[in-house]
Amino acid sequence: MSKPRVSRREFIKGGVGLTVLSALPYAPRAFAQAENDRIVAAAKGIGKTDVTGMIWSNYYIPMQPSMEDFRKQTGIGVGNIQDISIFDIPQRAMAEALSRSPQFDFFHIDGGMIPSLASAGLLEPLDPYMKKANFKIDAVGDYAKLFTYKGQTYGIPTDGNVHAQYQRKDLLEDPDAQKRYADKYGKPLAMPETWDDDFNIMKFFHNPEKGLFGSANLRNRANGVTWYLMYLYAHGGFPFADDMKPTLNTPAGNRALEIYLREKAVAHPESPGWGTPQMIPQIAGGRSVACQYWDGIIKLNENPKKSKTAGKWAYSTPPSANVGGKTIVRTISSPVGALLVNKYSPRKEAAAYLALWWGTAKSANQYVADNVNTFHDAWHKSNMTNPGVEAAYTSGGLKAVGECLQVACPPIYLTGYLEFQDQLGKHLSEAYVGQRKASEVLPNVENEWAKIVKRIGTKKLQEELATYKSNMPTIDKPKMS
Amino acid sequence: MSSVVAVPGSVAPAAPREVSRARGIRRFKWAILAPLIALFAGVLLPVLLLQLYFSFHQWSVYLGSWWDAEWVGLDIFKEVLTDPRFGWSIIRSLAFALGSTIGCFLIGFGLAYLMHKPFRGQALYYILFIIPMLTVPIVVAYTAEMLLYDAGPINDIISRIGGVEHKVPFLTNPDFALTSVMLLEVWNWTPFSFIIMLAGFSSLPKEPIEAARILGASTWRIFWEVQLPLLRPVIFLALTLRFLEAMAEFPKIWALFQGGPGSATETIPVYIFLTTWQYFEVSKGAAMSYLVMMLMIVIVLLAIRLLRREKHAIDAMTAAASRTA
Repeated sequence: MSKPRVSRREFIKGGVGLTVLSALPYAPRAFAQAENDRIVAAAKGIGKTDVTGMIWSNYYIPMQPSMEDFRKQTGIGVGNIQDISIFDIPQRAMAEALSRSPQFDFFHIDGGMIPSLASAGLLEPLDPYMKKANFKIDAVGDYAKLFTYKGQTYGIPTDGNVHAQYQRKDLLEDPDAQKRYADKYGKPLAMPETWDDDFNIMKFFHNPEKGLFGSANLRNRANGVTWYLMYLYAHGGFPFADDMKPTLNTPAGNRALEIYLREKAVAHPESPGWGTPQMIPQIAGGRSVACQYWDGIIKLNENPKKSKTAGKWAYSTPPSANVGGKTIVRTISSPVGALLVNKYSPRKEAAAYLALWWGTAKSANQYVADNVNTFHDAWHKSNMTNPGVEAAYTSGGLKAVGECLQVACPPIYLTGYLEFQDQLGKHLSEAYVGQRKASEVLPNVENEWAKIVKRIGTKKLQEELATYKSNMPTIDKPKMS
Repeated sequence: MSSVVAVPGSVAPAAPREVSRARGIRRFKWAILAPLIALFAGVLLPVLLLQLYFSFHQWSVYLGSWWDAEWVGLDIFKEVLTDPRFGWSIIRSLAFALGSTIGCFLIGFGLAYLMHKPFRGQALYYILFIIPMLTVPIVVAYTAEMLLYDAGPINDIISRIGGVEHKVPFLTNPDFALTSVMLLEVWNWTPFSFIIMLAGFSSLPKEPIEAARILGASTWRIFWEVQLPLLRPVIFLALTLRFLEAMAEFPKIWALFQGGPGSATETIPVYIFLTTWQYFEVSKGAAMSYLVMMLMIVIVLLAIRLLRREKHAIDAMTAAASRTA
């Protein structure tokens, strides 16, 4: 057998080629690996520990393989969880804050609770751990800011829960409908550009006799408020002035209310009581024309095993509004699942590194790509190019998610978040079902909010307002990917 | 000050055996009561005292330690009593409790009347009738949601019976919502009234009924003039217990409506929950709880008074009947 002869020039050429080759497709993986290695190195000294978390199993199940991986490398894993809905965790977490209990090491909770829980003294700032592991939240756009409070990071996202525009493509592409719509509205039937376009298309196709309802937006007391806030932000509104006076009864606030209430004409008659368990089957079952809905449902819609409408939807950012001559696109991110660490826990260091681990590209791609447990939505930059994630969302769906994340606004990101939201939600719901005049809603909510501000402390909330404002998107429209 | 006049010769020195027996009874009573008293002193009393503390101190979870809270006297009570939302919640709770108690009682009473005489297959019916009470309220709520939606089976049945399509908005119309949950409460808790009334019927003395029958009274007259008056204490008990329980109903309302649509089902437990655990206004929640507790105590005291009066009336009636016999 002859020995192959390799010249020096060939050897160098081969080496350069190999370097380039390895740098191209594997570079992100290598970087991701380094990110994971740094966290493992930072957590190594802690030793074998089982942490306890409060987390909904719908979120936890797809996070488990990643956690087991971390356990193998560091000895840190999850021993027990308290499995309760993400909607119920805020109350439970606050109870932990009141009792200063060390029982739970981390909470997987709506990031909107960060100001309230930080104010109650429950949360451990994560920046020192991030610094030690040289870790940053590598989220799309400014999304990582939604987990900061007064300049510190308190949460690691696992869920890019944003509202995207869902539009029935098959209806838009119907030639007969296109002609009739153009005749009626004097513009082509296409993805809605404005909020009026959105309503007109809903109205145009709304046909309850055939089981097709214009809007699938939620209007129940608990969730409707999220839509209102999205409309408000989209029209350049913001809930508070710098002196913490509520600013809902403004042109933007009233326009948001108009959009909120007018959709009753094109909504399912049971919409006042419907939450996601009722509305999701409407969407995936092909009984809705359009909506702005949490982006995770894209995965469900496009899963032919679970949806009658796979391939029939188009996705984008929500419609835009003209504000002072500028076109503004805004969406909302609420509730958004984030990992928060208990300051009172003796295992907080272990919990913090585990949280960082779950915030890495590798983990995020693992749980976001899961198309059976679909609660985690894309949020990490690497999710946007991951084939598994793209397969779950479709390329059009993922593109829309990426754009929405760039213009995602927080809910009322202040201490007292739930109270502000519930007061608004209650009044909106009362107006929607006819228990209250529309004209009373915003002045009444402003009065109620003023009382909440007074009770929590105007000065304290004024200080928080800076964080809230800085968490708002800095661009008017998303950069198209 | 009351005085006891001793009649010479009427008070014989107690025999050692009787003294020992009395002591034994006393010990037995304390043995039964002691764990309850310990439970009250160890668990309930501290909670009540803590709530009382919060009711007089303005404290929010965001403002440091609770022992540093500011003393505000009766301010929080004043705030609660002038809060229209609290007033409406009380009215809704009273309406809900009253409606569901009457519903539970009427059906429970009717079933108990039909069931109190032995018949073939009675045990089977008994089991069937108490099943709803064994169903967890949250399951009742979720099952009801599936049954009561617009295109659900209940509306389908109504439509088929009526021959015209009906879509009763059980869950979405604010005018129907409280009634819907009231009907669920009736379904869930009628067995409770049924069991109490069945026990009441079973414990009725046979002699007055037999005597009335011998005297030629009709079944209706026996029921109206003998059984019903004798049952009055049991009826009051059943109504009172059910009313108190209904005032505290939370799981079904929360699971189905969370206080909505609008504020149609925002009863007092819902409002207290929202205030304490959604708004984290612990002081206001504590004051509201105290006020509701006072209301309940008044209702219980009234009920006890009525029960005593009924018992005296029955004792008098029984004594009169014995004298006549």
